[in-house]
Formats: sequence, structure tokens, C-alpha cells
Amino acid sequence: MRNPLPHSTLLHQLLADYQAKRSQTAHRYDDLVTPEGQFRARWQPLVEELDELGLDGLQQRTLEAQNLLHENGVTFNVYEDDVRKMRSWQLDPIPYVISPQSWTMLEQGLKQRARLLECLVTDLYGERRVIRDGILPPELVYTHPGWLFPAADTGNLYARPNVIFQGMDVMRNEDGEWRVLGDWTQAVSGVGYALENRIILSRALSRLYRDAPLSRLAGFLQAYHRCLSELAPHRRGNPNIVLFTPGPGSSGYFEHAWLANYMNFSLVEGGDLVVRDGQVSMRTLGGLKAVDVIVRQITDPWCDPLELRGDSLLGVPGLMQAERRGEVAIANSLGVGVLEHPALAGFLPGLCQYLLGEPLQLTGRDVLWCGTPHYLNTVLDNMNAWQIRAVQDATKPIIPAELTPDALAILRQSIIQAPHLYVAEQPLKPASSPSYNLQHNKVTPQPVCLRFFALADPSEGNTEPADLPHRIMPGGLAWVAPPGTPVMESTIVKDIWVLSPVAQPHISLLQRAKGPILVTRDGMDLPSRVAESLFWIGRYGERLDNRSRLLRETLTSLVEEGQLRLTDTLLPDLFTALKLELPDSLDPDEDPSARTPTEPPVAVEQFITLRKILLDMFQHSDNEGLPRLFYAMLRNSRAVRDHLGDDAWRTINTLHQTFSDLPNIQGANAGQRGLEEIVTLLAAFFGLCNETMPHHFGWRFMDIGRITERCIASLELLKLAMISARRPGTDLWETVLATTDNLTVYRRRYRSQLYPAAILDLLLFDETNPRSVGYMLKRLETQIEHLPHPETTPFRSQETRLIIQATSHLHLVDLDSLTDLENSAKAQAALETLLDQLLTPLYALSDAISHSHFSHAETPKQLVTLQGSVT
Amino acid sequence: MKYQLRHTTHFEYSSPVTLSHNEARLLPRDLDVQRCTNTRLTISPTPLRQHERLDFFGNRVLYFVIQDIHDSLEVTIRSRITTQKRLEPTGDAVHSGWETVVQHLAPDSGGKATIASPETLDARLFTLNSPFVKRSEALRRFALDCFSPQRSLCDSVLALNQKIYREFSYDPEYSTLATPLEDVLKDRKGVCQDFAHLAIGALRSVGLAARYVSGYLETFPPPGQEKLVGADASHAWLSVFIPNWGWLDIDPTNGSLPNERYLTLAWGRDYGDVTPLRGVMNGGGAHELTVEVDVLPLD
Repeated sequence: MRNPLPHSTLLHQLLADYQAKRSQTAHRYDDLVTPEGQFRARWQPLVEELDELGLDGLQQRTLEAQNLLHENGVTFNVYEDDVRKMRSWQLDPIPYVISPQSWTMLEQGLKQRARLLECLVTDLYGERRVIRDGILPPELVYTHPGWLFPAADTGNLYARPNVIFQGMDVMRNEDGEWRVLGDWTQAVSGVGYALENRIILSRALSRLYRDAPLSRLAGFLQAYHRCLSELAPHRRGNPNIVLFTPGPGSSGYFEHAWLANYMNFSLVEGGDLVVRDGQVSMRTLGGLKAVDVIVRQITDPWCDPLELRGDSLLGVPGLMQAERRGEVAIANSLGVGVLEHPALAGFLPGLCQYLLGEPLQLTGRDVLWCGTPHYLNTVLDNMNAWQIRAVQDATKPIIPAELTPDALAILRQSIIQAPHLYVAEQPLKPASSPSYNLQHNKVTPQPVCLRFFALADPSEGNTEPADLPHRIMPGGLAWVAPPGTPVMESTIVKDIWVLSPVAQPHISLLQRAKGPILVTRDGMDLPSRVAESLFWIGRYGERLDNRSRLLRETLTSLVEEGQLRLTDTLLPDLFTALKLELPDSLDPDEDPSARTPTEPPVAVEQFITLRKILLDMFQHSDNEGLPRLFYAMLRNSRAVRDHLGDDAWRTINTLHQTFSDLPNIQGANAGQRGLEEIVTLLAAFFGLCNETMPHHFGWRFMDIGRITERCIASLELLKLAMISARRPGTDLWETVLATTDNLTVYRRRYRSQLYPAAILDLLLFDETNPRSVGYMLKRLETQIEHLPHPETTPFRSQETRLIIQATSHLHLVDLDSLTDLENSAKAQAALETLLDQLLTPLYALSDAISHSHFSHAETPKQLVTLQGSVT
Repeated sequence: MKYQLRHTTHFEYSSPVTLSHNEARLLPRDLDVQRCTNTRLTISPTPLRQHERLDFFGNRVLYFVIQDIHDSLEVTIRSRITTQKRLEPTGDAVHSGWETVVQHLAPDSGGKATIASPETLDARLFTLNSPFVKRSEALRRFALDCFSPQRSLCDSVLALNQKIYREFSYDPEYSTLATPLEDVLKDRKGVCQDFAHLAIGALRSVGLAARYVSGYLETFPPPGQEKLVGADASHAWLSVFIPNWGWLDIDPTNGSLPNERYLTLAWGRDYGDVTPLRGVMNGGGAHELTVEVDVLPLD
């Protein structure tokens, strides 16, 4: 650089610190500084910004970005139920910067690579000239788990697999040259994260992002959407594009949900899809809805239990045949996974000459395929000099130098027995790049891996594989880690800046739409699975609420009278309500003669024993405990992540935090406080759902779940308090009122006098009281009436009949028969009959609803169970 | 020889099936030594859709979907098949030693400038492990009894065929669909699938190429008795690759070389590639399976 920037003190200091960290690796290429120790020109906008912000300013912006990231709930190990193990990555405010000249070269190379891979996969599943002509050994191809025999028909009657969208991992080596580390074709991840990083950083560093001459991403994503739409069979207008995810159990689920939302795809799991009438359809409440394009995030072998792995529960039977027949387009096609073969790197130069007739522009990894005999010998001669990758699981390299002698001998033996299943490589010596360390508030040199994305865009010209024009996203996902580290194992991610020669106007990623749009209302096309999960969120959430309130009342009672003689307290009845058992030594029902003739337990001991039983409900191991209920609710919430609002989701995250701290609670008072927090958060969650979810089918199912559960809980509690309790009477009635949140209403009406008739009226008959059974039945009736009815039938549905049944019992009851409940056995019997008449149809309601609305999503079964192991 | 083949597979389900996707590999292949005419596959209930294709190995596959609610499924294949006398290896092929063939099949053994023939390249797939057949040291030792140094490939293969026939007992009670080869080797019994897998495993373990063949065999009733309807059965055997000649079929279950009385259905790496009927269905519960096969000579 001829005109070094005039450096401020801060920049001097920063540069000095940075160079000091590089003293060991000073000979290696660094992205930020030249060998002469000057900032490289492409960093100018950033260096200026840094100078202005200062390190403390940068720290503050980073924390801001971190908060935004957290808001979005970027969490990994989403299937991990322990919140402390949940890890979210840190977003580096310093992007990876690429100059326009460097990008031109890199982009050309990546385009060529995408073209080459497309030609290769077309040939492999077609004529297989590369095998016949000895360019690629058959052992290499046929043993890769991504190679699908069913995708390689004889005769090529149908379309061959192709790659629409792919990821390519790239790194600079110590000489500053680009090296490609690998390709991602089956379940390409990272584009969602790249986009999210860009959005968050342009909020946290808005001025920098507005003014910097960097290439924008929106154009590429619009092209992606357009290319997917054009894949639709028969080029149907406004095609139904779905994102096919393995589900909330997979590590990429957050990104799937996020991307589906951003790109306006329906997020579906295998169970949501079915192949019927020669087309792939989505199961929705309104019946089957045709799917035109599937953006797949599931690896090849799991996609179709008919033709691929029979034990796959994630896949869709008949999907391969549907794709073969062109009834649906899958991006990317089934079978392209073979392009991820780790040994291909060694053959690409030859393949490029053979297939494209030109030299390979971007060098790949330095690998030896052990299937080649003289390479095998080279590797075996000095195993410690290599990193080994197994073809079957190429994600992590094996480092022989780090193995025990025994493990090394075993590895050696495995390689000798099946050399074609191993690849040896020389570890890449990476260049360094600046990364901001939040903890130390410093900028340090670090190795950075980059992922770029290529899109095959046929609209730009010819559709022949060799001429297929590709677009490369001018940006991507970067992560701080040594070469070859999977992105999920890194802790720091970065944005990638591709500088453009001229400043590009900032385009909001949320663009004003250009084309016409069909206004839709989330309704009949709601997947049945989503409806079912929402229903169960309602049920589990309400059950959790009910049991938390009961437990809170029980703890109150324990604190007040836990040291008294048990038979004089409400505790035995409250334990029954909580479905807990008293220990034999305390159970008043136990025959005293059968008990060991010891003194009745000391009051304090009794208190401690009871408290332990109650607080055990906070433990994860307890089957009847609260965490079980919460995690059931959480599982269902995750499965419908894209249907819950961000605020509701934040409440779920807070609840998650609360539940991970819950098992540590020791005292009864602390327990009460914990329970109050849960009750409040649940109310907040459902309140937010009520306020933000469109009051359509999804919301109705959630509401039906809640009200059904609440109605059952109220009736059961009433039955206990009025009829089956050991100590029926005013104290217990008060607990009932408190648990059902009716105490205030009651007091306002009747002061502190407790009359059973008044309680019954308030809890059963008063349809203006939202906590009364009468009100709840009415609400259920309305909600159920509004559910979709698949067939136009003059008959009422089973669930409507059940509600009518319960309502009529309630309306027709002879109120006089219930008077003088305290003294009249007849009145008690009449009440018991009524409560049972109400409970029976409500117990049946859940089954009726799942039968009418959810039951089509059953797990398919194999005709013959056959599963060989993977070769 | 001329035969009328009938093969019926009948599934009876304990609860209704609402949707099933299926793949049948029941349509016999046409070969140099086998002509199939009047081939008809009937499926009941009638599938809503069906499509035929040739899989990677060139087998005829019929994909079909049944969407009507059904309690049973019946698939019947009928075909008139004419078979011819099979050729036996002649010329240099008979004499080449098995080690030479192993060399010939090994991937790019270095030094040699010639590119392997397309047949040899295709055969290399069948030297590798497959889902049901894994190469092992035990299988290699088992094979080496027959593969003594310098012995010709053909003699060695015939010896292996005899060895399995003599040393193993046929026991239809013993086997499930996927008996691990170690168990077969240890217990010394099995059914035709096991013996075919065993021979394939032994051959691949010494470095040779072998593939699994499914089909039928004309059987004779005990002397003086009428042949019973439906009493024949599916059969399985294997082929060994002999360079510059082709694939030689052997039948270790009967210790014989398949001749005109053998009808070939399909081939692949192992049973998993040629499963006659597979399907994935919704509903169905438990099911009962009945199979009837007739191989009726027409001459």
C-alpha cells in the first residue's frame, strides 16, 4: 500500500497488539495486515469505523448483536433439554472482507466447481462415462453412503439428479491462496445463518453497513426463490414450496424454521407429506394440498422408506418415484449426496479436464484416496503424517498421531481391510484473519472457515449441465475455527463482506413486493401435525398451570399446618388431588396395628417428609412432576416454532430457564415463589398467543386443548372437595376456589361466607364466570363448531355431540336435588352423578378430536422388515 | 425347455390398509438363455397407478400404489418361459488361476497401462461388501480350503459349490430373512438364500466378484406321486465373474450348476437388491403371508 492510513493512537495500539499475537506465525498470510505491517486497503471502511467506535464501543455493539441473536433464539442442541448445555454462538462484529479483485477470481472458481459437480452427478447417474473411462474408480463411487442405487436406473427413462443449491467450504492457506475444503449438496445448511448474521449486524452497526461498498444478499435470495418456483412441475403459477426438515430433534431445526419463515415456505416434516394420486401432498386441516417443490434438509438415505433406508421414520414413502416421474421437484434431487465424497477432491482436476475440458481453477484439499494401491502404501508407511477420514462418516478427521497404540493398530487394520473406505489428507495450514474477542475486548488473528453458496439459475441461459450458469451468493457464513471444523462446533460466526467496485445501494431484505400476491389467510392449509401440537400445547400448558396452583395451595397448607396431626389437616386430601401418595408411616388410612409399634413421627420429621414429597415434583425424574409436563409442552412448541410469535417464544425460553433452576429449590416458601412464577409465565404465554395468533384453526385447537383440560381439572377437584374428600368442608372449598382462581370473585359476591350452593353456582352454572364449567362448555362448543368439517355431512361430528351431551346434563339438572349438600346424602349422590355425567363426555372429547382432525398422520409400516447394515 | 410359471404372493392383514406404496421385482428378465413371453402381473386390489422401470442391475421393477382401503393384497406373476442350454466356460477362461483373476479385479494395481474392460469395471462392484454380505477373515479361511494356490478359478469355484452342498444341511426352520453369515458358518445349516449369501461372502473375501440371483427351479414330485399345485418354491443361487468369459451361475444349495431347469428372475449384490415384493403401508397391523409357486413344464 502506498499511502498508509494516518493511524490514530488506538489503531497503532490495535495493530501492535495484533502483530504481537502473530509473532509465531508471522510468515503466514494475514487478511488484515500486509507483510510490511500495514492495514490492507480493503479493510479501510472497517478500520475507520473501529477508530471511531473504539474498542469499548465495539464491545457494546457486540453485546447488542448478541442480544439480537439471543432474541432470535439462535440456539444449538435444540433437542437438549438442559438449558445450561444449550449453546448459542457469538457473532463477531468484524466481518470477513474480500476485495473485488479477489472475489472475481474466487467467484469464477466456485462457478466452475458448481458446473463441474453438476456434470459429474449427471454422468454418474446416467452414462457413467467417468467410470467406464477409468477416471473415477467404481469402488470409490459405489461405497459412499450418498450414492443411491435406486437413483441410477438402467436406461435413463427419467430425469437425472441435479444440484440446484449447494454450499462450498473455502479457506485461505498460509500463502493466501483459496482452497476448497468440501461441498455440501444434500442438506445445505448455513444460508439462513448467513442471512441472519447480516440482518443483525446491519442493525447493530447500522452506519457501517449502510455506507460500506459491500454486495447485498437480497438479489441472490430473490433469484433462489425464483429458481425454486420455476422448478414446479408444469410451471404452475404461485407454486407450493415446502421446506422438508427432519424435525425439532435435528440440530439445524432453528435454521429450517427461520429460513422457511423468511422465504415464505411451509415447514414440513415427513409425517406432513404423503404421496397420493401420483403427487406429493401436504396433510392440512382442509385435506391434502399439492406440493410442487421440496427444499430438502434431510440427507439422502432417510428420504424414502420404500426405496432407501426402510427404517427411516423421517421420510415419505413413494417420494423417489414421485421425483422420478417429475410429479414433484426436489432441491436438491435425491442422489446428489455422493458429491460430498471426501476422496473426490483428489480426482477433481482429472474430472475437470475430462468433463469440462479445462483445468480446475480452485485447488481442493490435498487428499490421497487409500483405494489407490500406491497411495495406500504411502499412507501406511507413515500414518502419523496424515489425517484420516472414513468415507462412511467424513465429518470428523481421525488424527493418527493422537491415537493410542491399540487404536492406531485397529485403524491400520481397518484401512488395510477396506482401503477404499479411507481418505488421507495433509492438514491445511490456514491464513489468519482478524476476529474480535469479546471476553478480552481485543482483536486477534484467527483461522476462519468460509461457506459460500451456489445457485443453478437456468433462466440465465442454457440448461445443459456443462453450460449451466451458476450464481454465487456475494457473501456467506464464516466461522472462527481451524480448517475442517464443522460449523456447529465453532463458537464464533462472522458475516462475509464481498466489496463491490462501486457502492451498492442498501436494499432492505424485506422488500416491497413486485409481483401480485394471492392474499391468503392461515386456515385450511394448516398442517394437521401443527394443529395437533397446538392442541397439546394447550393441554399440557393448562395441566401444568393446574398442578402448579394445586401444589402452591398444598405448600401453603403445609407451611400452616404441616406439623399438626395429619388427620386434622387438609394435606391428605390435597395429596390425593395431586395424585401423590402419603408414606405408609403417615397415612391415616393405614391400619395402626399393622404399623410397626413406634411412636407417631415427630412433628418436624413429618413436616420434612411431606415437604420432600412435594418438592420432588420439581425433579425431572419424577413422572408426575412438573418438569415432565413442561417438557411435553416445550416439545410441542418447538414443533410449531414458526406458528408462535417471538414474544410468546421468549416466554417459553424464560420458562425453560425457570424449569432448569427448579430442582434446586429447597424450602416450601421458595417453592411457592417458583410456582407463582410458573403460573404467571404460563398466563403470559397463553395471553400472548391469544393476542397475537390469528384466531383461526391453529388458535382454536390450542384453546380447545386448554379448555378441555381446565374443565376436567375443575370437575375432578369439585368432586374431591364436595364428595370424596376425607375432610369435606369449608377449608377445602376455599382451596378449590383458590386453585381455580375464583376466590376473589366469590368473596366479592358472598363475602367470606362459604356456601356449597354458592360455590356450585359459581363453578358450574354461572356462564358469565369464565372459570365455570358452563362457560367452558359453551366456549368449547363455539370453538368446535368453527373447526373445519372435511365432508359436508348433515350429521353432527362426534365432538359436537359430546359437548351437547355434557351441556344438556348441566342444563337439565334439578337444582333442588342439590340443596343442603352438607347434610343430605341424596344431594351428594345427585351431585356425584352430575359430575360423572359431565366428566365422561369430556374424557372422550380428546380422542374424538384427534380422530376427526389429526388421525391421518400415522406412521407408515414396512411390509417386510429388511435392514442390512451399511456397507 | 418350456415352462409356465405362476408365482402368487398373498398378504392377509389384521386391520385395513389405507394406502400402500410397493415395489415388485417379480417380472423375469430376458437373457440369452431365457425368453419370457405372455408375462402378466396381476395385482388385487387393482392399483391406482403402476409404473415399470429397469433398476441399476437391469431388473424389471414394477412400482404400484393402492389407495383403496383393503384387507388383503395378492400379487401373481404368470409367464411362459423358454430356457436354453447354458454354455460352460471354455478357452483360456477355464484355465486362468484364481489369483490372476483377483489381480485382474483389483483396483488400478499400478504399472499396467491398460484400462480394464467395461465388464470388469462393472464386476468390481460385486467384490465389495453389500448390506447383507460382509467380507471377513472367517469367510476367507472358509473359502481357502477350495482356493489352493495356482488352482484354476473354475475348479476352485466348483469345489466351493460342492463344499457348501456337502457340509451344510438344508433347514427351512432355521433361517429368518437375514441370517448373519457368522451364524450360518457356525451352525452349518440354512436355506438357499443363506447358502447363496455364504458363497458370495466367501468369494468376495478372497477378492472375487459374485452376485446374488433370484429365480425358480423346476422340482419333481417323489416317485410315483402327482406334482402338487403350488408346491414349487422361489430359489436363490449366485453368479461368479469369470474375466473374458462372463458370469457363471452356481447353486450351492443343490451342489449343481444351474441348467435349463432354472428360471432367472433378477440379480443384485444380495437379497436386499432383489426382494420380490416390498412395500410401505398405512395401517395393516399384523399380516399373514402365503406364497404359491408353480413351475409347470409345457413339453
